[in-house]
Amino acid sequence: MSRVLVVDDEAGIRRVVRDALERAGHDVETAGDGEEALARFEQGAFDLLITDWNMPGVDGFELVRRVRKRSALPILVLTVRQEERDKVRLLDAGADDYVTKPFGVAELVARTGALLRRQSRTDQAPLARFGDVEVDRETRTVRKGEREVHLTPTEFSLLTTLLSKPGAVWTHKQLLAAVWGTTAGVTNDTLRVHMGSLRRKLEDDPDRPRYIRTEPWVGYRFSPEE
Amino acid sequence: MTALLRRGLGYPAAALLVAVTVAVLRLFPALNESTVSLLLLLAVFLSAWIWQSGPGVLAAILATAAFNFFFLPPLYTFTIQDPRNVAALFVFLVSGLLIGRLSALSRERLRLVENERQDLVRLTRLSEAFLADTNRESLMGVAVDRLRDALQCRQVSLWLARDKGGVAEAVATPGTSVRQDLVDLAFRQGNSAEFPSELGGSDIYLPVPVGVQRAGVLVARGLRSSERMAEGCAVLLGLALERERFVKLTRAAEETKTSDQMKSTLLAALAHDLTTPVAAARGAVENWIAEAGPSEKATLALEQMKALSRRIAELMEVVRLDSGVARPRREVVTASELLEAAVSRFGQALENHSLFIEPPPADAVAEVDPGQLTEALGHGLENAAAYSPAGSAIHVGVAVDEESVLFRISDRGRGVPTSDRERAFERFVRLPTSDGVPGTGLGLSIARSLVEMNGGSLRLTDAAGGGTTFEIALPRAKR
Repeated sequence: MSRVLVVDDEAGIRRVVRDALERAGHDVETAGDGEEALARFEQGAFDLLITDWNMPGVDGFELVRRVRKRSALPILVLTVRQEERDKVRLLDAGADDYVTKPFGVAELVARTGALLRRQSRTDQAPLARFGDVEVDRETRTVRKGEREVHLTPTEFSLLTTLLSKPGAVWTHKQLLAAVWGTTAGVTNDTLRVHMGSLRRKLEDDPDRPRYIRTEPWVGYRFSPEE
Repeated sequence: MTALLRRGLGYPAAALLVAVTVAVLRLFPALNESTVSLLLLLAVFLSAWIWQSGPGVLAAILATAAFNFFFLPPLYTFTIQDPRNVAALFVFLVSGLLIGRLSALSRERLRLVENERQDLVRLTRLSEAFLADTNRESLMGVAVDRLRDALQCRQVSLWLARDKGGVAEAVATPGTSVRQDLVDLAFRQGNSAEFPSELGGSDIYLPVPVGVQRAGVLVARGLRSSERMAEGCAVLLGLALERERFVKLTRAAEETKTSDQMKSTLLAALAHDLTTPVAAARGAVENWIAEAGPSEKATLALEQMKALSRRIAELMEVVRLDSGVARPRREVVTASELLEAAVSRFGQALENHSLFIEPPPADAVAEVDPGQLTEALGHGLENAAAYSPAGSAIHVGVAVDEESVLFRISDRGRGVPTSDRERAFERFVRLPTSDGVPGTGLGLSIARSLVEMNGGSLRLTDAAGGGTTFEIALPRAKR
C-alpha cells in the first residue's frame, strides 16, 4: 500500500482523486493548499505527491520546487495549462509528470501507478523487463524475445536513463544533459533520431509506440506496462 | 568688443610701441648695435602677438627705419656708411617681418583652438541637457534657450516635421522672425543657407537630420559661432528627437506587454475556474461508474461531461486567439516532428480509422510555433476522423515546393461541396453534412487562425477518391 498526498484547493477535485486512488488500493491524505501540504510533508513519509498547479499562496510550482529540494519523491501535477513551455518549466523544476484537466480518472490512476512502481522496486536492479524486452544493465545487453538486439552506446544510455524513472517525463534538456552530459551542440532533432532508432529496435509497432512515448514538444517518457 | 577695439587701434599702437622702445634705447647710448636690434625685434614680436599681422608688419618696417636712423652711423640719416651694416639692416628687416608673421600666426592658431574647445564644451553641455530630457514637451521647452547659448546667437527658431506632412514652427525665442521659404527649402531638400544678418553675425537655416530623413529645421539668427558648430547642434537635436521617439516606443511596447500578461493571467484563471468543476464532475461520474458498474444514464452523463469540457476548451482557445495573447513563438521544426507530435497527441481520435502517414521529405522544414501547428494539425486529424466512416482510411502526406511546405490530411468521407468550403471556416457554422457529429463549429476556425498567425494558409479541397483534404501550406524555412 502506498501513501499518496493529494493537494488541491478545490474540494471536489480532492474528493474525486481520493476516491479513485483509494479504489486503486492506495492510502490517501489530502491538503487544501501548499502550506498545509508542506506541513504534512514534514510529518509523514509519502510515496507520491499529487498537486494542483493553480493554488492561492504557495502554488503547485513552488511546492514542487520546495519538495524537490529535499526529496526524490515522485510528483504528479494537475494542470489546466496547455502550453508546452509551461510544462517544460514544471518538469525542469522537478515534477515527474503532469495530467491536464479535465483528466480521465483511469488515466490518472494509470499514471499514478507507473510513478509508484518505481518506488516499489529497486531501480538499479541489473535486469529490467518490459513487454518481451529484457535489459541487462551489467552486461549491457538487450534481448527482444529470443533475439539479442544491438544498441549503440547512445541508444543504450538513453534507454537506461528512461528506465531509471518509469512513468516520469524527461524534458529534452534533461535527457541531453543525462546522456550527452551537455545541452550544447546537440539538438532535439538528434534526440528524435536516436529515439526513432530505439523504437524500431524495441517496439512492436514503432509508429504507435507503447513504451517509449513522445510528449510532443516537451520530451519523452518510458511508460511501463499497465 | 575688445577684439574689435584692439584690431582698429593696432597700427597706431604698434607704431607707438616701436617709438617708445626707440626713445628708451636712446637713453642708454652705451648699448651696442646688436643689443639694440634684439630689443627692437622684441617690440616687433610683441606688436605682432598683440595686434596681429598688419600692425606686426608696420612695426617691423618702422623698427628697421628707426634702427637705421637712430643707431647706425652716420646717425640721423638714412644713409649707411659701413657696407656691412647694409647686410645687418637687411637681416634685421627680414627677421622683423618673419618674427611678426610667425607670432601672429601662432596667436591666431591658439585663438582657433580655444574657440573649438569652447564649441566642444558648449556641445557637450547641450548634449547633456538633451539627454536629461526624455519627453518632447520638456525637451522643446528648454531647447531654444540652450541652443541660443550654445550657438551664441540672438534668435533661435525650431521647426518640426508634422505627422501629416510639412513642417511647422514648434518653438522659438520671443520676437523671432524667419523666412518661411528658406525653412521649406531646408526641410524639403536638405539645403542649408547661411548669409550675413541684419542682427550682426549671420543667419543660418539648417536641416535637422534623422538618419537620411529630416526631423525639422533649425534657424539661428545673429549667429556668432561657426557654421560647423551650428551643424553639430542640428545633429545633436536630431539625435535627441530620435531618442525621445525610441523611449516613447519602448514605453508603449512595455505597456502592451504588461497588459498582455494581465490578459494572459486572467484567461488562465478563467480557464481554471471553468475547467475545475467540470473536471470534478467528470471524475465523480467515472468513480461512480467504477464503483456501481456502468449504466446507460451514467455513461450518457460522462459523454456529455466530455463534450462540455471539450467545448469549454475550444471557447477558451477562441478567446485566447481573439485577445492577442497567443502570439506564436517560432522555431525551426521539421514536418516529421510536427506530424509525430500531432499524431501522438490527437491519435486517440483516430482509433477507429486506419491512419497512413507517408514519411515527409527531409527538407520539409518550417519556422512556426510548434505547439500551435500541432494543434492545427490535430484539428485536421480530428475533423477527418469525425467526418468519415469508422474503419475508413485517413491519409497524411507532406509535399514541398520552392516556397512552401504542404500538409495534406485526406479522408474518405462524404466531402464538402465547393460552395460550402469557405463557410466551414466561419465560427459556430456547422454544415448540413455534420448531422449527428458532435461539435461546436469552432475547430476549423481555430485551426485557420493558428495557421495564419504563423504565416501559413489553410483550405479544404477535394481528396482523390472522394472525401475532403485538409491542406495547410506553411512558408518553407531553411535548415
